[in-house]
Amino acid sequence: MKILLIEDDRETADYVMRGLREQGHVVDHAANGRDGLFRAGDGPYDVLIVDRMLPGIDGLALVRMLRESEVRTPVLFLTALGGVGDRVRGLDAGGDDYLTKPFAFAELLARVNALARRPPLVEVQTVLRAGDLEMDLLKRSVMRGGREIDLQPREFQLLEYLLHNVERVVTRTMLLESVWEFHFDPRTNIVETHISRLRAKLAQWGGAELIHTVRGAGYALRAPVQVASA
Amino acid sequence: MLFTASAVILGVAVCWMTHASLTQQLEGRVRAAGGHFAELDRTEGIGGLIAHARAFGGNGPEALDYLVQSPAGRRLAGQLPMVGGRRGWLRLNADGADGPKPVLAYVQQLPDGVVIAVGDDLRRVRRADDAVLRAFALSIAGTLLLGGAGGIWLSRLFLHRVDAMSRTAEAIIDGDLSQRIPLRGTRDDLDRLADTLNRMLDRMQKLLTSVREASNNIAHDLRTPLSRLRQRLEDAREHAGSPAAQDQAVEAAKVEVDALLSTFAALLRIAEVEAGAQRAAFCRVDLTSVVATVAEAFAPSAEEEGRSLAANVASGVVVHGDRELLTQMLVNLVENALRHTPCGTAVRLSLRRQGRQAVLVVQDNGPGIPVAEQEQVLRRFHRLDRSRTTPGSGLGLSLVAAVVELHGAVLRLEDAQPGLRVRVVLASMAESAATIEEPVRSAA
Repeated sequence: MKILLIEDDRETADYVMRGLREQGHVVDHAANGRDGLFRAGDGPYDVLIVDRMLPGIDGLALVRMLRESEVRTPVLFLTALGGVGDRVRGLDAGGDDYLTKPFAFAELLARVNALARRPPLVEVQTVLRAGDLEMDLLKRSVMRGGREIDLQPREFQLLEYLLHNVERVVTRTMLLESVWEFHFDPRTNIVETHISRLRAKLAQWGGAELIHTVRGAGYALRAPVQVASA
Repeated sequence: MLFTASAVILGVAVCWMTHASLTQQLEGRVRAAGGHFAELDRTEGIGGLIAHARAFGGNGPEALDYLVQSPAGRRLAGQLPMVGGRRGWLRLNADGADGPKPVLAYVQQLPDGVVIAVGDDLRRVRRADDAVLRAFALSIAGTLLLGGAGGIWLSRLFLHRVDAMSRTAEAIIDGDLSQRIPLRGTRDDLDRLADTLNRMLDRMQKLLTSVREASNNIAHDLRTPLSRLRQRLEDAREHAGSPAAQDQAVEAAKVEVDALLSTFAALLRIAEVEAGAQRAAFCRVDLTSVVATVAEAFAPSAEEEGRSLAANVASGVVVHGDRELLTQMLVNLVENALRHTPCGTAVRLSLRRQGRQAVLVVQDNGPGIPVAEQEQVLRRFHRLDRSRTTPGSGLGLSLVAAVVELHGAVLRLEDAQPGLRVRVVLASMAESAATIEEPVRSAA
C-alpha cells in the first residue's frame, strides 16, 4: 500500500513510518500542511494519515481542501486532541477515521488496513460469506453449513462488522466504536464477553473456529483454511 | 434641559396669545366706542360729543379716554393729547389719575372736519402680560431648579451604584474571587445587570476552582504512580536478569503507563465537561436507546462476574444533550455498581418519564455508600476505604457529576436499603408517540 503521512512531530513520524514499512507498505512523509497538500494532490495514495495540529495549514483545513478538489483518498486523523467534539469535527471536515495519541501501533495498523480496503463491487453485497458461514443482510439471518443460527441484534451487528472486515484484524476499540458507538474506553471488557458468546453460538452446529484472537491487537474473522485431504 | 425648553416655548406661546387676545379685545372696545362717538356727532352734534367726552372720559379705571379736536386743530374736549394731523391707530401718552398712561387710540375725522379719538388704557394689557410672564418665569425657574436638583440626585444615585460595581470588580482583580456586586432589590436594569454579572462571577469562580483542583490532583495523585513507575524501571535496569525478565519488566511498565494515561484522559475529560463549552453542541438524544444499549452491552459481562443486570426502559424518552457524554456517564455508574459490590449483587437500570422530566436510576443491592461519604464520593480521586485495593482511579463519579451539571440535571445518591440508588433527573424534550414501558431484560 502507498501511504502518505503528514505529521510534524519527528519522533511520532519515525515511529509510524518504521512500523508501516515493516508491514511492507510504502510510506511518504510531509512535515507541514503545505507540503502535505502538494504531495497528496500528486498521489495516488491508498491512505492519508494526517495530524490535526500542523504548522502552516491546519489538518482540518487541509482535508477540507482535498475534499473540495475531489480527492477521495481515505483519511485517518492522528491527533492529541481528544475532546468530546473533536472527533466529530474531524469527520465533518472529510476525515474517515480518528485516532487519538498516544496509540498502540497495532491500533493504527488495523485502522489503516480497514480504510484502505478495495472499493466495494458494483452490486451492493446483500450476502456476506466466510467459509461455510453465510449472512443474509436483507433477511437478517445467519446460517452455518445450511443450518440457521439465532442471533441477538447486537450479535448480528458484531458478526456483520467482522464479516465486512474478513481476513483483517479489528481492534477492540474499533469494535466498541462501530458496533456499540462507544467513543471511550470502558474498563470492563464487554467486547471479549460478546465475542465469546458469539463464538459459542457460531459453534453450535460444529465447524472450525472462525473468530480468532490476535494477541496484542484484536480479533479477526478468517475463513478456515481448507486442508487438502490426503 | 428638555423640560425647561418646552416650558419656555409654552410660556412664550401663552404670553403671546394672551397679549394678542387682550389687545384684540381692547381694539374691539375702542373701535366700538369710536363708532358710538361718531354717531353722537350725527345725533347731537359737536355739543353732544363734548358733553360725552367730559362726562365719561377718564372717569374711573375702566373708562375710555376721548379727544374732540376742532378742524383747526384746537382741543375742544377730552383727555387725550392732541394728535394734529395723524389718523388711525395711534399710541399716545395721556395723563391719568395716577400719572402718565399709555393709550391705544383710534383717531378718525368726522365729515364736518372734527377729529375725534377714543383710546383705552394699555396698562391693563401690560399688567396681564406681566402677570403671565411672571407666572411662567416662576414655573420655569422652578422647573430648572427641580430638574437640576433631580438630575443631579438621579445621576448621583446611578454613579453610586456603578461605583459599587467597580469596587467589587477591583476587589476581584485584587484576588478575592468571592466578592459579589450588592443588589438593591429594585429589579430595575442596573439590578438585573448586577445579577447577571454575579452569576458570571460564580461561574468563573467555579472554573478557577476546578482548574486549581485539577492541578492539585495531578500534582498529588499522579506523582505517586509516576514515581512508582520510575522505581520499577530503575530496578529493571539495575537487576538486569534474563531477557525474558527484562521483557516482563518492560511490559509491566507499559501497563503502568497505560493506567496513568487513562487517568490523564479521564481528568482532561472531566475538566473539559466542567468548562461547559460542549453545551453549544447539544442536540436531541434518544435516552431510551442510550440506556438500552448500555444495559445490553454490560449484561453479559455482569453475568460473567456473578452479578445480574436488568433494565426497565420507557420508550421514546428524549433529552437535550450530548449522547457520548450521557453514555459515558451511565457506563461509569453501571461499572461502579458492578465493581464495588460483591458477587451475587443485582443491578437494576430504569428510565421513565415523570411529568416533564426523565428519571434515570441505577440501583444495586450491595453495601451502598455511607451517608457521611456521599458528598465526597463525587470528588476526584476519592475512594471509599473498602475500595482502595480494587482497580479504578476514583474518577468515575466525578465525571458523572460533571456531566450531570453540564446538562443542568440533578444527581442524587440515595440509600436503597440495602444498597445504593443513583438517581439522575433531566428535563425531557417533546413527547414521543409511545409511552408504554417496555421491559428490556438481560439474558440471565
